[in-house]
Amino acid sequence: MAVSLGYANVYRDPKGFPAWQEAGLPVSSAPLAEALAPAEAAAPGPLYGLAMLWTLLGIFLGGMALNLTPCVYPLIPITVSYFGGRSGQGRGSLVGHGLLYLLGLALTNSILGVVAALTGGLMGAMLQNPVVLLAVAALLVAFASSLFGLWELRLPSGLTRAASKSYTGYFGTFFMGLTLGVVAAPCLGPFVLGLLTWVAGLGSPWLGFLVFFTLSLGLGLPLFVLAVFSGRIEKLPRSGEWMLWVRKLMGWVLVGMAAYFVRPLLPPPLDTLALAAVALAAGLQLGFLDRSRAEFTAFAPIKAAVGIGALVLATFLIGSWAMRGPGVYWQPYSAELLARAAAEGKPVVIDFSAAWCTPCRELDEKTFHDPAVVQKAGREVVMVKVDLTKSGDPGHERLLAAYGVKGVPTLVFLDPAGRERTDLRLVDYLPPEEFLKRLDDLNRQ
Amino acid sequence: MRNKTSVMLAAVAVLATVAALWLTSRAVTPKTATWEDVVAEAEAGGYRLINTEELAGLYGRDAAGLLLVDTRQDWEYRAGHIAGAVNFPMEPTAWSRWQKKGEIAEMLGPDKARTLVFY
Repeated sequence: MAVSLGYANVYRDPKGFPAWQEAGLPVSSAPLAEALAPAEAAAPGPLYGLAMLWTLLGIFLGGMALNLTPCVYPLIPITVSYFGGRSGQGRGSLVGHGLLYLLGLALTNSILGVVAALTGGLMGAMLQNPVVLLAVAALLVAFASSLFGLWELRLPSGLTRAASKSYTGYFGTFFMGLTLGVVAAPCLGPFVLGLLTWVAGLGSPWLGFLVFFTLSLGLGLPLFVLAVFSGRIEKLPRSGEWMLWVRKLMGWVLVGMAAYFVRPLLPPPLDTLALAAVALAAGLQLGFLDRSRAEFTAFAPIKAAVGIGALVLATFLIGSWAMRGPGVYWQPYSAELLARAAAEGKPVVIDFSAAWCTPCRELDEKTFHDPAVVQKAGREVVMVKVDLTKSGDPGHERLLAAYGVKGVPTLVFLDPAGRERTDLRLVDYLPPEEFLKRLDDLNRQ
Repeated sequence: MRNKTSVMLAAVAVLATVAALWLTSRAVTPKTATWEDVVAEAEAGGYRLINTEELAGLYGRDAAGLLLVDTRQDWEYRAGHIAGAVNFPMEPTAWSRWQKKGEIAEMLGPDKARTLVFY
């Protein structure tokens, strides 16, 4: 490549660094602090950096999709008739009212998010309990069956009436927004409940507020646009059979969430296959078996696209499970194993993990199946796994006390002399590249 | 009629997913390059080969006039490299070449007669 750029004296040394180092020629390496610095950065997740934007965008779109459920739809004419009476006041004032309306709606929902996040410490701990996981999954399936049309979920009618009364002035508009959230709740409940549980799992009130505020903005945006341009209402497609299809779509999303929740309880191949089965069934029903029609032409392509999307997702899940390469070779913990590793001058990594812990599974599925990690670990490191799925093993209890392990996952790194490198200790998911850096630091001492 | 088209589309999409997955995640044992491969590659690329002793000679005479480029990954470079080498991680893929074309010209500098050694 350098040749094509016009450089005359281009060489390649095929033996490279290892031969150079063996010959005892001058080498250098980055200082330890520099090598470690990037490893200290926060582990990337759905809520950091750019991924955060995408997550919020998805939530925003989800909020907009909520407008298609049958219970929000009747609220659209209510909204428009409320705002339609004000069209004499001029555009600017109408926009002001629309914004207040949106704000009221967003606040009602955001309070739910903050409450969920504040109880998050409790809910986070509970979420790792198999009984709770099953209960949440059962609740999600129950709501899904409501969306499939097996039973009806509704608020007491008195509350609905009181909330839809007209009020005047800016405060009235704001109050309309606040109450709309309450009125729509029976229908939004199924979708928002899953999100609530997720927000509780995050355990941050600020994130909880942000997530639900974004959701409400998505939910309210079409209403806001309608409020401002309220003259064009007759162009909306009429509520009909296609609404039932949208409900089914939401129902399948909930069933998928239920399958996601019970994942940690299922043994490894089954968990992914369960998700794949849900995606497959959803794709077949929504895209091909469902016979609902609509007067507008966009419906059929949308239906086919959703069906095909779900089928592709199912294929992806099954395929990535079936075609996954070999993983790291783990050995069970024993004192002799550590003694042998120390005698051979090999570093050791001890992984305290459990089947029900999500970051442990992520580590296992991504990092410990990464080809570079598998190769390096197989050659240079003794990998030891302590499986804490079932508690009460006295040997394990002693180990936990000896290394001061507070939870799972915990990865303990022992240098070739058998001493722990506490600065490298890991208690969360770490991507393969960062893990390789740690192994490298471990080897350097 | 419309249903038939969407079934066809679905079949195509599923097959495409399988193919994409297979291409990206199949286990390939990397072939260890023989000396003949290295020589043939050098001829095709129009560059010369250098061994450790010759490089050490060059390095000893005029280390400053020499630009050493370490093409391994940054974590490998960090763990240890020839003193004075610069790191320019290159994966042996067409994508990587295309992507880093501008960057490499900038790194190598304007002096076309300078001795460059890649490893």
